[in-house]
Amino acid sequence: MAYSDKVIDHYNNPRNVGQLDKSSQDVGTGLVGAPECGDVMRLQIKVNPETQVIEEAKFKTFGCGSAIASSSLATEWVKGKTVSEALEIKNTDIVKELALPPVKIHCSVLAEDAIRAAIGDWKKKNGVTETEKSAQTVA
Amino acid sequence: MQAAEQSVKTACWSCGSALTAGQPFCEVCGKVQAPGSCVTYFDVFGLPCKLVLDVSALERAFYKLSRKLHPDLYAQATMQEQQWSLEQTSLLNDAYRTLKDPVRRTEYLLRLEGVEIERDKSSGDEKKDSRVPADLLEEVFELNMQLEEMRMSQKMGEDDRQLRSDLEKAKAQFEGQLADFDAQLQSLWGEWDAALDADGSLAKEDAKNRMVALLDRRRYVRNLVRDVNEALEI
Repeated sequence: MAYSDKVIDHYNNPRNVGQLDKSSQDVGTGLVGAPECGDVMRLQIKVNPETQVIEEAKFKTFGCGSAIASSSLATEWVKGKTVSEALEIKNTDIVKELALPPVKIHCSVLAEDAIRAAIGDWKKKNGVTETEKSAQTVA
Repeated sequence: MQAAEQSVKTACWSCGSALTAGQPFCEVCGKVQAPGSCVTYFDVFGLPCKLVLDVSALERAFYKLSRKLHPDLYAQATMQEQQWSLEQTSLLNDAYRTLKDPVRRTEYLLRLEGVEIERDKSSGDEKKDSRVPADLLEEVFELNMQLEEMRMSQKMGEDDRQLRSDLEKAKAQFEGQLADFDAQLQSLWGEWDAALDADGSLAKEDAKNRMVALLDRRRYVRNLVRDVNEALEI
């Protein structure tokens, strides 16, 4: 099974690899894993407290090419978005963008989970009310 | 629908005697039978769907059945019987390989119970919450960082002693965890089997869920041990 050019591009030139200060008030950290394949993904965001815009995003992923590409793309996409906009990102968007085959869909699910976990962590740190989030789960 | 068929008795194609699903031969006339479409690996050996299993008895049953089913014995039989003996033999081999291994046996049973293991989850799946607890994820992540560092320094032709000893320590710790998991798994087998005997669906569900969680953790740790071994051996 061949990887798409976009996956290979992200794999060879991953965007935003790295780490943000976990203890910083503005930083949210999401650490997620897929027990099926043993992948682990850490995605961090730095949120502007005034505007709620994600100004910085970093990731570090141990896993297959698709997992790396999915998280790399996820950091690209969340940057510049507000927290609530970032929550709109769906794994299916990632699948489409990277042309992931069905067996790699879980990698995109992991990336979406990582975004949600990072935002969840940031919200918890900053005491943001969960109204949007619960609305999301109901929808 | 398939599950209902499973318990349905069929008849021998040759002499018409009643057969239990999964029985490779007719007990009356001894003729080889077509493998059933929904026969489980447990059925192949006439075993209940239990997890505590005498592996040496399984091995003996395997050899006994193998000898009787071997396609060579059917060289003179009809094409249909030749085909069946081949299919039965291949089913028997799969069944034996799966049941003799403790982890594969457990995974197989859980799959029979409708649990998806080592499969990709569809995008719309609601149960996509990470089943691995946060503390293990942290450990996995940290160890992967160390492994990466180890590989980098090896690439540069260096062998970082401190790192190596850290990794060896981590490896020993994870191997200990694996042994721990296996002991826990065995005790869960007992719980599952007892629940099956008592027909306690709640207890069954409970044992099932705990086995799934345990195997998820185990898979992570097993992969880690494998990765550490690879990094240390270069």
